[in-house]
Amino acid sequence: MSDADRPVVLIVEDEPDVAETYRLWLDADYVVRMAHSGDEGLDELDESVDVVLLDRMMPGLSGDEVLDRIRDRGLDCRVAMVTAVEPDFDILEMGFDAYLCKPIKSDQLHETVENLLGRSEYDDLLQEYYSLVEKQATLEAAKSNAELTDNEEYVAVQERIEELQGDLSETLNGIDSDEDFIATLRELNDLDE
Amino acid sequence: MTSMSDSSMSYDLSGPLEFDALADVRPGSNILVSGPAMSGKAGLCTAMLADGSRSGEGAVIMTTGDRADEILDDYRTRVEDLDESRVAVVDCRGDGSRSDERTAEGAYVYHVTSPGDLTGVGIGITKGLETLANNGAEEGRFALDSLSTMLTYTDRKTVFKLCHVLSSRLDSAGYVGLFTIDSEAHDDQTIQVIKQAFDGMIEIRDNDGAREARLLGLAGQPTDWREC
Repeated sequence: MSDADRPVVLIVEDEPDVAETYRLWLDADYVVRMAHSGDEGLDELDESVDVVLLDRMMPGLSGDEVLDRIRDRGLDCRVAMVTAVEPDFDILEMGFDAYLCKPIKSDQLHETVENLLGRSEYDDLLQEYYSLVEKQATLEAAKSNAELTDNEEYVAVQERIEELQGDLSETLNGIDSDEDFIATLRELNDLDE
Repeated sequence: MTSMSDSSMSYDLSGPLEFDALADVRPGSNILVSGPAMSGKAGLCTAMLADGSRSGEGAVIMTTGDRADEILDDYRTRVEDLDESRVAVVDCRGDGSRSDERTAEGAYVYHVTSPGDLTGVGIGITKGLETLANNGAEEGRFALDSLSTMLTYTDRKTVFKLCHVLSSRLDSAGYVGLFTIDSEAHDDQTIQVIKQAFDGMIEIRDNDGAREARLLGLAGQPTDWREC
């Protein structure tokens, strides 16, 4: 894959050795950006960033503060908090999308990044699904059943709706986990505001 | 017909409403219950949940109108010897901050800040399902009353997505879900769109003073209207 197609992961971590380890693990699959403090992290952030790995305890801006700024800027990226303590649902309430407990292993890191990319994909699919369901309802209201069977647009909409139903149930295993469930609903709240 | 093993369990929702297709509902099915105000939509859902509770299933009740204690009082009168450790209420009326409690009788109650607080809804349902599973309920029924209130707090798009995500979650939990909507409080387009997030729909109408219902989806063709 060329760089342009690969998802972008931003690592915000004040310990250089730890940050470098993450980069080595992720380098083959993603475009990796590095920042060694919260302030640097905010400088590196733009629309192209898909996932942020954010250390919670850093000198200067803390992870929580960086998260607030990210949400304030309305950036559409997923943020995993890296922490030394095992948290619970409170973390999701705070607005983080996931958490990782130190020390992190390579497969855990990959799994988390993939899961967060899956959530973005799910949100996009659900948005497209809604738009098509709305279009379907509009066409149904405007035309008779006989007209609909011959209507190319309507047939195409119906086909795409069926495809999307399949794609949605495969993405995130159809919202199999508690974390995916809560985070997906929180995202609906954020979009609504 | 070949006999089915225990693993292919299904839900019998036909107690309060005798349609064949309701006697054998696949786990993960989600049904919209649509009808005018005061037509007994919530009562119908509660009766369907109560049938499950009588055989030890879990019940998760999400409310935007009645208080959790009112719901539990009503539920106790419906189910004799109710095992309340297998009942959870997600109370969305919005009386402050998110919190949870265990009632003296053992039911789990989660309070959400408002019907528009979808993060809270997610946490409440998750904790409710988890509690019921820990208390031995391997199957269960879910009811949300009502989507019409949710629609006054947020837009149609958000409610549609909420229904889809909730349905997916209930599907993975092996639950069956019932969601009420006031058929006269929204335009046709809204009902048409919301309907698409469900596997089936029970429609209730008033026909010259007689309450009638019919079933759409779940098993092909719509049924005829039947007095209920």
